[in-house]
Amino acid sequence: MKPDAYDSKAQIGVVFQEVAVLEELTVQENIDYFCGLYIKDKKTRKQYVEEAIELVGIEEFRKFYPKQLSGGLLRRLNIACGIAHKPKLIFLDEPTVAVDPQSRNNILDGIQKLREKGATIVYTTHYMEEVEIICDRIIILDKGKVLATGTADELKELAKIEEKVTVEINCLENQYLETIQKMEQVEEVTYHGHTLVVTYRKGKNNLVELMDFFKKEKISYDKIYSQRPTLNDVFLELTGKELRD
Amino acid sequence: MAFSNIENSEKLEIINIAIVENETFQHNEILQQAFETLSDKQNEDRLFNTQYTNEEKANQLLQNGEIVGYMTWEEEEPKIIIQSNGINETIFKYVTEEIIQNSEIIKNLAEDEIKKEMITGNYNLDYQEIYQKIVDKTQNQEVTLKDSSNQNLSYTMIEFYTLIAMACLYGATLGMFAINQNLANMSNNGKRIAVAPTKKGKVVLSSALAAFIVQMIGVTLLFLYTIFVLKVDYGTNLPLILLLGIIGSLAGLTMGLAIGTVLKANENLKTGIIISVTMLGCFLSGMMGITMKYIVDKNLPIVNLLNPANMITDGFYSLYYYDTLNRYYFNIISLCIFSISMMLISYISLRRQKYDSI
Repeated sequence: MKPDAYDSKAQIGVVFQEVAVLEELTVQENIDYFCGLYIKDKKTRKQYVEEAIELVGIEEFRKFYPKQLSGGLLRRLNIACGIAHKPKLIFLDEPTVAVDPQSRNNILDGIQKLREKGATIVYTTHYMEEVEIICDRIIILDKGKVLATGTADELKELAKIEEKVTVEINCLENQYLETIQKMEQVEEVTYHGHTLVVTYRKGKNNLVELMDFFKKEKISYDKIYSQRPTLNDVFLELTGKELRD
Repeated sequence: MAFSNIENSEKLEIINIAIVENETFQHNEILQQAFETLSDKQNEDRLFNTQYTNEEKANQLLQNGEIVGYMTWEEEEPKIIIQSNGINETIFKYVTEEIIQNSEIIKNLAEDEIKKEMITGNYNLDYQEIYQKIVDKTQNQEVTLKDSSNQNLSYTMIEFYTLIAMACLYGATLGMFAINQNLANMSNNGKRIAVAPTKKGKVVLSSALAAFIVQMIGVTLLFLYTIFVLKVDYGTNLPLILLLGIIGSLAGLTMGLAIGTVLKANENLKTGIIISVTMLGCFLSGMMGITMKYIVDKNLPIVNLLNPANMITDGFYSLYYYDTLNRYYFNIISLCIFSISMMLISYISLRRQKYDSI
């Protein structure tokens, strides 16, 4: 290693996908041990450990051993061990896998706090809703290759679809479905149960046009609403829908 | 002592043999005398129950299983006939060969003495004096051999020493565990250490030290158990035995570090290899029979020179077999060199490790 590599490493924090803690140590001791690999000064370390415990919300469990913790608490401990030394660059590898919604919420809050404090966070996940909440810039990777980069809005621009209109409708004859399909900018029309979903490639007044069509044809409906494409739609479109290993 | 019956069970039973009594045998006084003594019913250490007969009868006795073998003659040379290979057959054969060999020595000594007397011009030989000189020489030779051992080393003690050697070498599993905890491809904690700005050598050394302390606690408990529960008497050599145990444990630990670092395999495979290497080493150093140690020493001495189990057991034996501590210290130094070599291998291997992804 180059001499300055140790300084660079000290600025990096990694939270691995697998929980990496020592079973023989308590929650507080674990954080202290791993923080000790970065911070030699005991006083500073003690303060950092306290802050990490507070950040992930495990104050009540500081004397617990890892085997006494639930999956969600373990994940929070795992994060605390990775970020206690206050790194400037943090890599988080799917930190919310298999955790309860409360723990997930807590973890995402913690990550946002870290970002607010000035840390750069590289967050790896399959959960697109998390990406939308916490990420400024997104890279979509598939089989090791970069498929797209940009902000959430920029990526949505890449999608073939612009708008998705959902209508709750009791009965709709096939002839009307064919007519809607033939409308300008319509990409796809699906009608399952009582729900009609019309996907548009482009355009901004698609909802109004569809409502006008129903009025003209005297078709009654219960509820109608418009959605922009989600990152999940973008992800599926870019990576394909076939199942992965 | 807990294992006292082991040695009792090792006492030899009286072996039934026959000797073809012909003219050659009747002229061989040494052989006659030797078998007479070994078959003497008054002798507590009686080894043989000997029947003197002719060839045909002896063969018949052997076929009937009444004797384990008989001694016959081929061109005036003694020849042992046995039907199968067993312990008693081997003893009979071995003892007879020893007697023949020793009788040759006595004959040669007698010839030398007679020649000496004749060279000095003394043709009136005093056979009684010659006989006494030969007896003195042979007895002195025997005395010298006995004195080279300052204490009798029992079969049980040999077993204990090899077991202690094995316990020391099993420290390798602790060494491997210690190194695995610091390798990114072996444990999750190793991943954390790999990304931390701490020198690997420092972390590995501290882990190895912790493992060594645990190993020492284990070895100490073993010694305490053998001393206080099994009542094993290590005599005045206890401090030296403990020192050898400590250095032996270090050798085992460093061997584990090297195997753990060099091998690119999962923990189970590494453990299997460590157990195999340790068991093989102990086997070659005489754990399952002291003969193996001598066979290897005689035919492949390099193997035992590199075998840490042998260095440990040999160190233990040397405390009993030799008056000086030269051989003991030779083994201690060998173990230290072995440990340093293993540490160097681990260090170099550790420095060369890089990960594409963790």
